Amino acid sequence: MRPLLATFLKELRLLYRDRSGLLVLFFMPAVLVVVVSLVQENVLKATGAARLDVLFIDQDRQTVGRIIRERLDGIEGVNLVTALNGQAIDIDQARTLIDKGRYQACMVVPAGITETVRARAAEHIAEAFSGKSGESPPPPPRVSIYFDPLVQGAFRSSLLNAVRQMLLAMEMEIKAAALTEALSSRLQRTPGGFPGPLPPGLAGLPPIEMDPGWGARRLMEAAAEKSGLQKLPTSVQQNVAAWSVFGIFFIVLPLGGAIIRERRDGTLARLRTLPVSYLILLSGKLAAYIAVCWVQFLFIVLLAKAGLPPLGLPVLSLGTDSPALIVTVTMVALAACGGGLMIGTFARTLEQATMFGAVAVVCAAALGGIMVPVYVMPPAMQAISQWSPLAWGLNALVEIAVREGSLGSVRHELLCLAAFFAVTMAMAWARFGRIDRQGRM
Amino acid sequence: MMHPEPPPPADLLSAEGLAKTYRPARTPALASFSLSIGPGEIVGLLGPNGAGKTTAISLLTGLLAPDSGRVAICGTDLFRHPGKARQWIGLVPQHIALYPSLTAAENLCYFGSMYRIAGRRLKERTEACLETVGLSSSAHVRIGAFSGGMQRRANLAVALMHQPRLLFLDEPTAGVDPQSRNLILDRLTELSRLGVGMLYTTHYIEEAERICARIAVIDEGRTIAHGSLQGLMDAHPGCGDLGQLFLQLTGKELRD
Repeated sequence: MRPLLATFLKELRLLYRDRSGLLVLFFMPAVLVVVVSLVQENVLKATGAARLDVLFIDQDRQTVGRIIRERLDGIEGVNLVTALNGQAIDIDQARTLIDKGRYQACMVVPAGITETVRARAAEHIAEAFSGKSGESPPPPPRVSIYFDPLVQGAFRSSLLNAVRQMLLAMEMEIKAAALTEALSSRLQRTPGGFPGPLPPGLAGLPPIEMDPGWGARRLMEAAAEKSGLQKLPTSVQQNVAAWSVFGIFFIVLPLGGAIIRERRDGTLARLRTLPVSYLILLSGKLAAYIAVCWVQFLFIVLLAKAGLPPLGLPVLSLGTDSPALIVTVTMVALAACGGGLMIGTFARTLEQATMFGAVAVVCAAALGGIMVPVYVMPPAMQAISQWSPLAWGLNALVEIAVREGSLGSVRHELLCLAAFFAVTMAMAWARFGRIDRQGRM
Repeated sequence: MMHPEPPPPADLLSAEGLAKTYRPARTPALASFSLSIGPGEIVGLLGPNGAGKTTAISLLTGLLAPDSGRVAICGTDLFRHPGKARQWIGLVPQHIALYPSLTAAENLCYFGSMYRIAGRRLKERTEACLETVGLSSSAHVRIGAFSGGMQRRANLAVALMHQPRLLFLDEPTAGVDPQSRNLILDRLTELSRLGVGMLYTTHYIEEAERICARIAVIDEGRTIAHGSLQGLMDAHPGCGDLGQLFLQLTGKELRD
């Protein structure tokens, strides 16, 4: 126990005195959280390259449902999903999938909307001709859209507007058809009818009068429905989760550097002549770096809680399941330390470790949805992003902090992080043994 | 905790038939290397660059596993019972194997803790070792701020923390000023009088002449001469000193 504790304290001392390393670990993610939260709070990015996976539930199965589906299919960037595993989509199932972030939106065309809309059109025209209107007309039927709470405002607005335009165009067609029919019917009732020259007797008939406001009365509408979650996520929540994971993974730089320095300076050789298992020394080292990751996470949380509200940003909330949060942050830290050990063992020089470590973390962060949401990436990149340990960490933290998830709902991500740690440790150990046998320690 | 008292073997170090080849090379880095060191004995291991000195020390301290041969430290097999055998050895590596951002005292305390020395005993040993190498006044200065000579002395002090029976010194005076070198050699001589055995590698022939009772010369992984300084000189009457003898044995061709 004493060697473990001594190693733990020694590593903390070394890290504390590595000012540039501390700057990278603490200052960089803190600045990113503040700046990006402020930027995202005020600016909606209009990204035309976005691709939304939209669940489509057509309960109408008539003209309106069919036309909405056909027209949505024609919108670039919208991927319409009408069945899951060959089965029709159930609304509850769809809402669960949306709340979990598996799909970005779900559109529900209610049953009977075509009949209702046609009836309303005819009714509106009849009322317009008669000059009477219902005292309290029933609300128009509506096409409901459910959004993943994490979908950015720009995407919500663009999809909602597209659907509204579509419904308006359909309304015009239906109204025009209804009006044509109404006019035709009224003309059929005129004495003798026409064609041909207008009988002189018609000149005495009263003119056809219509309420000019009838066209403005809506037949149907589209509305964004509330999420199943109690609160919408804030930019602070998303950024704290994202940049914390990013910052934690930057531990690979000081850890990889420390391993290389120990090898280069001969300290590792000295350590290995000690009557202590190297596994104990390694455990002490890992414990220290995990502790630093935790301090880093708490620092960012503290900054977000205390420092951001005065800047006009929302107060940070991290969900309700503290044990799940603790386990998740620890697993992210373990995975990051595994990566650091692997880089420190494989790199030959400090420069190699620094360059490779930084590039690897930034690439994994970009792929993992730290910088832009995964759903706006091209399909190929979305597939690759599933393999980023930062994506696992981010998804788990977002699930707990934003979607109010639990350990059970992030078990897949936690297992992936644990597997990443195990694989990187095994690779580092194998490489370590190889270097050892070659006498290049 | 102090180091456990070893049984009183005739030899602190007993190595027989050590061989090591770094794959994929076919030439052995060390072949049929045998050596023994008794209590208080300082054995010099000399050889040109690449002769196999560091490989020999790595094998004798358990840093490397040999292809064949055995090593016993105070009668304990190093490769079968490494934890036990390592308690009796101290290593002064060729590099300054210390943490530059820790102070001298912090470095000593850390490595002392690895031998489960704790509390007041740890503090006492730290102070004693720093005093031995003349660094008491710089105990709380970071190693990175030390001069080359001070770093070398601190490197030695760390190896003395647990009062080892056997010291392996891999060029411990490389690049230091005459004053530091003199102090280091004086302290090693004092330690040998206390019964500490040492294996000492160096390129400074005069150091070996000054402190070593026996000399082993290796080249291309093989021991080419071994004996007391006087015995070696007697066997090579044409050589005026150990330096000439060394060049006669290993040749004047550059090895780098």
